[in-house]
Amino acid sequence: MDRHYSQVQVASDLENGDVNFKVGLNRNNIKEVCVNGKTPQNISSSIMRKKSDPMLVSPNVRFQMLGHFLTNLQEVILGTKLAILFPAIPLAIAADYYKFGRPWIFALSLLGLTPLAERVSFLTEQIAYFTGPTVGGLLNATCGNATELIIAMFALYQNKIHVLKYSLLGSILSNLLLVLGTSLLCGGLANLRKEQRYDRKQADVNSLLLLLGLLCHMLPLMFRYAIGEGTSTAYSTLQLSRVSSIVMLIAYVAYIFFQLKTHRQMFDSQEEEEDEEEKAVIGFWSAFTWLVGMTIIIALLSEYVVGTIEAASDSWGISVSFISIILLPIVGNAAEHAGSIIFAFKNKLDISLGVALGSASQISMFVVPLCVVVAWAMHVHMDLDFSLLETGSLAFTIIITAFTLQDGTSHYMKGMLLFLSYIVIAACFFVHKIPQNQISEGKPFTGLFAA
Amino acid sequence: MASLQEPWLLENGNLKGTSKEMRHGRTAHNMSSSSLRKKSDLTLVSKVRCGMLRHLLTNLQEVILGTKLSVLFPAIPLAIAAQCYGFGRPWVFALSLLGLTPLAERVSFLTEQIAYFTGPTVGGLLNATCGNATELIIAIFALWQHKIELVKYSLLGSILSNLLLVLGTSLFCGGIANLGQEQKYDRRQADVNALLLLLALLCHMLPLLFRISGGSAALTAVPTLQLSRASSIVMLIAYIAYIIFQLVTHRQLFEAQEESEEDDADVSEETPVMGIWSGIVWLVGMTAVIALLSEYVVGTIEDASESWGLSVSFISIILLPIVGNAAEHAGAVIFAFKNKLDISLGVALGSATQIAMFVVPLCVTVAWILGIKMDLNFNLIETGALAISIITTAFTLQTKEMPSTWVTLIPRPESPQLNRIIS
Repeated sequence: MDRHYSQVQVASDLENGDVNFKVGLNRNNIKEVCVNGKTPQNISSSIMRKKSDPMLVSPNVRFQMLGHFLTNLQEVILGTKLAILFPAIPLAIAADYYKFGRPWIFALSLLGLTPLAERVSFLTEQIAYFTGPTVGGLLNATCGNATELIIAMFALYQNKIHVLKYSLLGSILSNLLLVLGTSLLCGGLANLRKEQRYDRKQADVNSLLLLLGLLCHMLPLMFRYAIGEGTSTAYSTLQLSRVSSIVMLIAYVAYIFFQLKTHRQMFDSQEEEEDEEEKAVIGFWSAFTWLVGMTIIIALLSEYVVGTIEAASDSWGISVSFISIILLPIVGNAAEHAGSIIFAFKNKLDISLGVALGSASQISMFVVPLCVVVAWAMHVHMDLDFSLLETGSLAFTIIITAFTLQDGTSHYMKGMLLFLSYIVIAACFFVHKIPQNQISEGKPFTGLFAA
Repeated sequence: MASLQEPWLLENGNLKGTSKEMRHGRTAHNMSSSSLRKKSDLTLVSKVRCGMLRHLLTNLQEVILGTKLSVLFPAIPLAIAAQCYGFGRPWVFALSLLGLTPLAERVSFLTEQIAYFTGPTVGGLLNATCGNATELIIAIFALWQHKIELVKYSLLGSILSNLLLVLGTSLFCGGIANLGQEQKYDRRQADVNALLLLLALLCHMLPLLFRISGGSAALTAVPTLQLSRASSIVMLIAYIAYIIFQLVTHRQLFEAQEESEEDDADVSEETPVMGIWSGIVWLVGMTAVIALLSEYVVGTIEDASESWGLSVSFISIILLPIVGNAAEHAGAVIFAFKNKLDISLGVALGSATQIAMFVVPLCVTVAWILGIKMDLNFNLIETGALAISIITTAFTLQTKEMPSTWVTLIPRPESPQLNRIIS
């Protein structure tokens, strides 16, 4: 039981906005934390906290408040298996302060971001208890990829548009090929003799959204090839990108509406198993405070990551495109990835698919256009024109994923092929050094230099 | 019934379906001789010279006359003669091409004979590996003579011809012949093949995009080569996984066609026509002849192209695969006529997958060992044609419950169209 619950907990950052399901998972969290995971003292203190919570908000007894604070701390910091990576955060800050090598800062910040990404989802869910299902679903859907969003914002702020594009593209690729591929592979091997089924309607909606996203990336690219490069092309590409971004945001809003309001039942299939009490582990305001604090730390680490990526690339001899397309997303998605694999092992492919596809469509339909709109507001010229190789990989990825999820069943060969596709794409960006230098120095590919 | 002989070259490790053609396919004389041989086979080897001679003759008859394509065998000595007496080189080319057609079919037959003695798994492996032996040998010879374009063209052409021509004509003929009936197939097997082909497409697409987006060819040559070699290794891994999937863990997916054969054919004896050693000797001999003819073909293709006024790309993408796949093609169409689409699909898709995931990366690896710089960058038009055929095929085989109707001949008209473009 212990193992079971702690495994479930890692997976608690499902981004598919399915509130009830998350609530169910959280109930497992509580059990794990209260009953299995921690000391008896912990249990009692958590029971106490639950009773005395409203009282505590109005500061009466300082001692109890301290206890409350400590419990909170323990819940938030130690509530995940990834907590062993937390020490990387102060180390990263210290490394920056004492002027260590910049590659070290990069590596430590990357490690530190891994548990933070998972914790933000946890806190978002805690807040969702107090806000009702719809707002909660919205919150979950929006904050699901908070780390990616914050890194993207910092890259935008520092005018590193190519890092921004690469990291978002890489996140989509990693969700669709790596997370999904390893899940199907492990699930297929673990359940070799059983039938592995999933609901393909949910997968279909996500595939369609991803195809719309692909269209929005393809048109600006073709624009440039059809008309040729020049200032007028750059201007019209930019206009097209902004219009496309607005359309993508509309599509995303419609998707959220579809998912949370009109077609709940399509996304609710996984709910059935958990039907016990569902309670928040921490109070609304403390969760809120924690969330703000976490976000600030993420922002700090993201700034380090974005600021030191070139130095790390130079000293390791790995191209920036490989680091931001392959390494960054693997680290950012580590928690999701683990959760998805665990559910696949238990032959619950619906959840694995929800994690991988939900995350991919969220980045492609929400984070990317949001970045374009924010760049617009900041008067930065960012368009949707990823360059040819990247768009080609994206197109292939979306098509092979859509094709894999066609028939509602799975076996390990499907996962194997998705995973191998990812390896090929990773190899491609690994050897892609020379053209990358050309792009960032000479050609106005990113719109950054056209500004 | 006599037309049943060709499907011996199913590459899917299906051993059972091979024995019954022995008895239906030949004349009565043939049948009796084969029954005689079966009894005396082991003793004959250890007997006197007269018996040995008889054994040899029986063997010869089995191997040489066991196919309808044996009318083309005389082309082989003619080709050799043409080469020796310095005939026109286009003649050598044409005769060698004709001679290769029956040999391709016979190699599959011999492989299956050997497979009887090795058990199903090794046999399946053998069948899977030797299924496209002709293509492999031609490719290796072209590689040896540093004609890398020819290697790429002929392999690409083989994939296209399997996916569009063989599959297209099979579905078309099957659809026409069984207009009133429902034509069903198991799409799970087709799905796996389509996914493998998509992975192969990715491996061809990335080096191409690389070249286009990377600017000067000098800068991208080394990374393209590295990428191609890495991709080839990945493809070989995928192919091994596919073989394991097919032969070990998910046999039942690929065994659908077996049952249908057992009910109309005799379930009884499945004995090899010849011993393992004579099988191996024949196989080695055949391979040597194929190698000789392949060398002629590769060496004379440019002359043939000049004298006929056809481009080398047309000859190697269109003509070469049609000839090399003739036997398979006939088998697939015949099974489609009998409404056994699973087998037709197995032939066409299995062969295409094998070339894309095994022969192509193997050529890259061999080129690597030989120190030749062969990458996976087919040109734009070839890769485009490949992409369209793979995606069209994948979509054609999509429909879940709907039967395949002869409207699915869509791929077929596409193939001449592509041919035009390419040539």
